[in-house]
Amino acid sequence: MNIAKIGKWALPLSLAVTAVTACAGKDNDSASSSPAASSPAASSSSSSPAASPSAEAQDPFGKYPETVTVSEVIGYNPPEDPRTPKGLTPDKNAYLKDLKDMMNIDVKFKWMVPSSQYEQKFSLALASGDLPDILELDQKNYEKLKNQNMLADLTEAYAQYASPDLKKYMESDGGFAMKTFSSDGKQLAIPAFEDPFLSTQILWIRKDWLDTLQLQPPTTMEELDKVADAFVNQDPDQNGQKDTYGVALQKTLFFWGFDLRGFFNGFGAYPSVGDAQSAWIKGADGKLVPGLIQPEMKEGLTMLQSWYKRGILNKEFALKDENKVVEDLVAGKVGISYGEWWYPNWPLNSSVDKDPKANWIAIQIPGLDGPGKSLVPKIRSGKVFAVSKNMKHPEAAIKMLNFYIEKGYKKYYDPKSAEKGYVYNWFNPRIYNPAEIETIYTEVNKALEANQTEITLEDQNYSTVQGRFEATKDYFAKDTSKASNGVNWGQYFSRVAKDGGWGVTRQIKEKQAFVNNEFYGLPTATVVSKGSQLDKLMQESFTKIIMGAPVDEFDKFVASWKSLGGDQIIQEVNDWYSKEAVK
Amino acid sequence: MRTLKKDWPLHVMVWPGVIFTLIYAYGPMAGLVMAFQEFEPLAGFFKSKFIGWDNFSYVFHLPDFGQVLWNTIIIAVFKMVLFLLVPLILALMLNEVTRRWFSRFVQSAIFLPFFLSWTVLGGIIIEIFSLNGPVNGILSSLGLEPIMFMLNNGWFRSIIIGTDVWKGMGYNMIIMLAAITGIHATLYEAAEVDGAGRWKQMLHITLPGIAPIVILLSVLGLGGILNAGFEQILIMYNPTVYEGADVIDTFVYRLGIFSQQFGPAAAIGLFKSGISLALVSVTYYAAYKYNNYRIF
Amino acid sequence: MRKLTLGRGLFVGINTIVLTAVTLLCIVPFIHLLSISLSSNTAAMAGEVKLWPVGFSLDSYQFLSEKVEFFRSLRVSVERVLLGTAVNMFLVFITAYPLSKANDQFKHRTIYVWFFAVTMFFSGGLIPTYIIVKSTGLIDSIWSLILPGALSVWNVILMLNFFRSIPRELEEAAKIDGAGHWKILWRIYLPVSLPSIATIGLFTIVGHWNAWFDGILYLNSPDKYPLQTYLSTLIMSMNSMMTSVSSEQLEMLENLSEKTLRNAQIFMGALPIMVVYPFLQKYFVKGMTVGSVKE
Repeated sequence: MNIAKIGKWALPLSLAVTAVTACAGKDNDSASSSPAASSPAASSSSSSPAASPSAEAQDPFGKYPETVTVSEVIGYNPPEDPRTPKGLTPDKNAYLKDLKDMMNIDVKFKWMVPSSQYEQKFSLALASGDLPDILELDQKNYEKLKNQNMLADLTEAYAQYASPDLKKYMESDGGFAMKTFSSDGKQLAIPAFEDPFLSTQILWIRKDWLDTLQLQPPTTMEELDKVADAFVNQDPDQNGQKDTYGVALQKTLFFWGFDLRGFFNGFGAYPSVGDAQSAWIKGADGKLVPGLIQPEMKEGLTMLQSWYKRGILNKEFALKDENKVVEDLVAGKVGISYGEWWYPNWPLNSSVDKDPKANWIAIQIPGLDGPGKSLVPKIRSGKVFAVSKNMKHPEAAIKMLNFYIEKGYKKYYDPKSAEKGYVYNWFNPRIYNPAEIETIYTEVNKALEANQTEITLEDQNYSTVQGRFEATKDYFAKDTSKASNGVNWGQYFSRVAKDGGWGVTRQIKEKQAFVNNEFYGLPTATVVSKGSQLDKLMQESFTKIIMGAPVDEFDKFVASWKSLGGDQIIQEVNDWYSKEAVK
Repeated sequence: MRTLKKDWPLHVMVWPGVIFTLIYAYGPMAGLVMAFQEFEPLAGFFKSKFIGWDNFSYVFHLPDFGQVLWNTIIIAVFKMVLFLLVPLILALMLNEVTRRWFSRFVQSAIFLPFFLSWTVLGGIIIEIFSLNGPVNGILSSLGLEPIMFMLNNGWFRSIIIGTDVWKGMGYNMIIMLAAITGIHATLYEAAEVDGAGRWKQMLHITLPGIAPIVILLSVLGLGGILNAGFEQILIMYNPTVYEGADVIDTFVYRLGIFSQQFGPAAAIGLFKSGISLALVSVTYYAAYKYNNYRIF
Repeated sequence: MRKLTLGRGLFVGINTIVLTAVTLLCIVPFIHLLSISLSSNTAAMAGEVKLWPVGFSLDSYQFLSEKVEFFRSLRVSVERVLLGTAVNMFLVFITAYPLSKANDQFKHRTIYVWFFAVTMFFSGGLIPTYIIVKSTGLIDSIWSLILPGALSVWNVILMLNFFRSIPRELEEAAKIDGAGHWKILWRIYLPVSLPSIATIGLFTIVGHWNAWFDGILYLNSPDKYPLQTYLSTLIMSMNSMMTSVSSEQLEMLENLSEKTLRNAQIFMGALPIMVVYPFLQKYFVKGMTVGSVKE
C-alpha cells in the first residue's frame, strides 16, 4: 500500500542514485518499501495516483531545482571508526556532499559541540533566540518549544514526502510513538524510537567461575544468593586470594547500568526505569502505583543489606561510579552484573580481552520462585526531530530522513566508507529501523546457517547487518586484524548469539515474562519541582539501609516520600493515565 | 576641577579597563533580574514574569538548607585559613633553602597539581583513600583497623579540605614568594650587622614585609566564605556523606536548579554575592577607619 | 659563608625532608597519569596501573603523534596564551598603576577600585554573558576567549599592592626630571617589579592555558578549540545520559575505553605549561628589586 505514495513527477535523479537499479528485485516485504523513485524504471512504472487522501504524494528523493540551505546544530562524538580521516569535523562529513548531489540540500551547521556539552550550548541558543531549522530535541525541550509555539507542523510534509521505509518504521509500533509527539492533530516531531524490549534487564554471569565451583546458573534469588556467596568465599578465580566479590553495583542505585533495577525486579518490585523517578505499574484497583514505595522493595533491601554484610556487594560500592565498576569487571574481581543486552559491546569485551578464559553468559533474572519478570517501558525514545517554525522548507527535513535510511541499501555499501569520510552518526536528522537489532539477529543467523560469505539482504538494513556479520565471521575465524577478539566477540554475543544479549532478551519477549511501566508521559509538574529532592531522599535512605541501617527505615522513607510531594505525583500520574494514556 | 586637570593622565590610564568592565562585567549583570523572575529562556528577560522575592524564599525553605549552609561555612572557613597558613609556611621554608636548584624544583612541583582538573584528580584521590589504597595499606602495616575514609562524614570533610589545599597551595605560595623577593635586601643586611639570626630576621623583616599581601589575600578570601568548592565535592562525594559535605552549590546543582530553574539559581548566586561583598567591604572600611590602611 | 650552628643544621635537615615529602605528594598524580599512558589498554581498563606502567606500550604516544585534533588545538592554545597574556598584562599595568597611587595623588582612585572590585563578587551568569559576547560580535572568534576577561580585577588588585611597595621617592625624583606618568610606569615601576610581573604573568598564562569552558560556550566549531577545551571533551562523563543506552551511546562507550590515549593527552597537555614556570623563576631572584635600582 505504501508503494503508491511515490512521486508522480520524479525529477531526473543525480548519477549517484540513477546508476543503481538493484533495489527492485527482492521479494520479501522490503520490496514494497524499496524506494522505487530512486530508479527511473521503477518510478515511471509506479507513478499511479497517490493513495494518500490528505495530500498529494511527492517524490521523497526529489532534487530541488535551487539549492535549499538548512541550518542545523550538532552534538557529536568522535567517529567510531579509527580509519576515518584525521581531523574530520561534522561539516565535512561525506554524507553531506551526497545529500547535496542527490537532493540539492546544503547543510550549514550553526555550531558543533561535543555531545557532552550539547545541552548547555543548546539552552544558550534557546535563550539567545538563535534556533536552527532542524532541531534534535529531548522530551523536555520538545515540550518547552511546543508550549512556546515554535515548532512547525509536519503533518503535511510527512504525508507527502516520507519515503515508504520511513513510514514503515513509524508505523511499526502502530503509530504509538508518532501519536505521542503530536498535538491537536498536528505532527510536531518525528520520534526516533527503538524496540522497548531493549530495556529488558538480564543477568550477566561468569560461566567459567560457575564451572570452576561446579555451580549451576541461578534461577531463583535463593540460588543467586548461594552463587554470589561462593564467588566471594570459594575463590572462583583460583588465585588463592580472597579478592573477588559477588555482584557489581555502582553508587547511583538506579542508573543505566550496573545498578539495582533488575535485582528488585526479581522480587516483583519495580522501583525505577533507570532515572531518578519511579516506575509506574498497574495496581489492584486499576490505578497506577509507584513501584518505588511498594512493600516488595523491603524484601529486596533486606537481602541487599545481608549481601553488603557478607561482602557480596563491594564494601565501598557507594564510592564507585560506573568507570570504577567497569574496572572491577575487567580486572576479574566481580562475576555477576545486572544489565541490558549490550554489555558484551562494553565493558565485557575488555574483560574477554584481558582474560580469554572469561566466559560471560546472559540469563533471565532470577526471581522468587523461578525466573523473574523484568520491567519494560511502553516506549523507548530518547530524542525526536522537529523543525523550527521559521523554516521555509519543512519537507526538506523529511527528505533528509529519507536520505539517511536510503543510504543503508546495499548499492551504497562501501567497506571503505570510513576512509572516505562518511561518519554516519554525524548525520542529522537520522532515524533507525526500530527493529534493527531483531533484523540483525535474524539475518546474520540466517547467513551463518546457510554458510554464506556475504549478506544477501537487499533492503535498507544491508549496511548495518553486513557490518555485524563481518565481525561475527572474524570472531569465529579468530581474525583480529580489524578489531580485537573481545570486540568481535562483543558484536557477536550482544546481537547475534542465540544465548547472547539479544538472544536471551527475545526469548523473554516471546515468553512475555515482563511487566510494563505504564507511564510514558512527560515528567509531571511536581516531578519537575520536587523530583530531585525525592531522589536525594531515596538515595540517602536506601544507601544507608544497604550499609546497615534498620530495614524499617524504609517505612519512614515511604512516609516522607509521600509527604514531600509523592502523593501529588501519584495524583498527577493517575490524572494523566485516565485522560491521555493510550491503553 | 583642578584635581581633574592634574589627574587626567591617570584617568586616561584607567578608562580602557573601565570600558571592558562596563561591557563584559556590568553588562551581563542586567541578567540578575532573573533572580526576581520566573525566568523562561524562550521568553527572555522582558517577557518573563516578575515574582518578587519568591525565588529567594523558595531556596531558603528547601529542606536541609540550614544544614547545607552550615556545611558550606565550615568547609569554606577551614579552606580559607589553610589556604593562607600552608602557603605562608611553605614560602617561608623555601626562603630558607640555600640550594637554588632544589628551591626551584620544589616550587615547580608544588604548583603542579594546580594544572589537573578535579575530573582527573577525583578518581585518583578516591582510590588513594579506598580500602585497597595506600593509606589503608599503611594503617594495616601499623596493625590498625582499615578505615572507609570516603564514607565517613568526619573524614570526608577533612579529605575535601586537605586535598583542595594540596591542589591550590602553589598559587598563594608563589604570590608570597614574590612578596618576599620584593623585600629590600638592605633590611636583611642591616639586621645581620645587628647580629639578628635567621629566626629573628624572619620574624621582624620577612613577616612584616609580606604582611600587606597576606592581609589582602585573607580579606579577599573572606569573599569566598560561601564557596566551598563545587566541582571537587560534586565529583568526590556520595550519598552517605551528604549530611556533612553537601554544600550550597552541590545541593542546588543536585536539585536540578542550575539546569532547569534559572530564577532560583540566580537568586542563590545573588545571595552569595551579597554576603561576600558585605564581608569584604566591612573589613575594608574597618581597616581604613581603625588603621588608616587601604587594603586595596 | 655563614657558619652552621647545630640548631641551624637540624633546621636545614628537617626543612629539606619536609619539602621533599611535599614535592613527592605533588608529583604522584603525574607519575600515575604517565604510567597509565605508557601501559597496555587492558591493564589500564582493569585499574591495575599505579605508579609504574603495566604491560609497557608506547602505542598511545604513537597514536597521539598522528592526532590532528591535538596539535591543531595546541596551536590555538599557544595563540590564545600569547594574545591573551599581552592584552591582559597591558591592561593590568595601566589599570593598576593609577590605582596604586595614594588618595592624595589620585583623588578618585577609591571609587575606581570599588567599581572594579564589585565585579569580583557579582556576575550576571551564563546566559546574559553569552548574550553580551554575542552582541559584541565575538562569537566563534578567538577574541571571545580574550576580551570578555581582558581585565582581571584580581590581578589588578595584586599588582597595585605590589606597586605600592615601591618607594615614593623614586617617583618624586623622576617627576623632578620631568617624567610623566606613562614614563614613570614604563621606566621605573615595571623594571623594579619583575618578580611580581612574573607572578601575575604566570597566573595569566596558566589561566588562559587551563580555561576550557569558554571555548565550549563561544566557539562554534571544534577546529577552533584550544587544547583544554578539546581535552575536556575526552574526559566527558557519561552521567548526562539518562535512563537507557541507545545504540549510538553504546558506540560512544566503546570509544571511551581508550584510557591510555586519554591519559597521554592529559599528560602532554600539561607538559608545555609546566615548563613555563621554571623559565619565569629566574625573575624571582633577590636583588633585582627596588634595592638594586636605588643604588
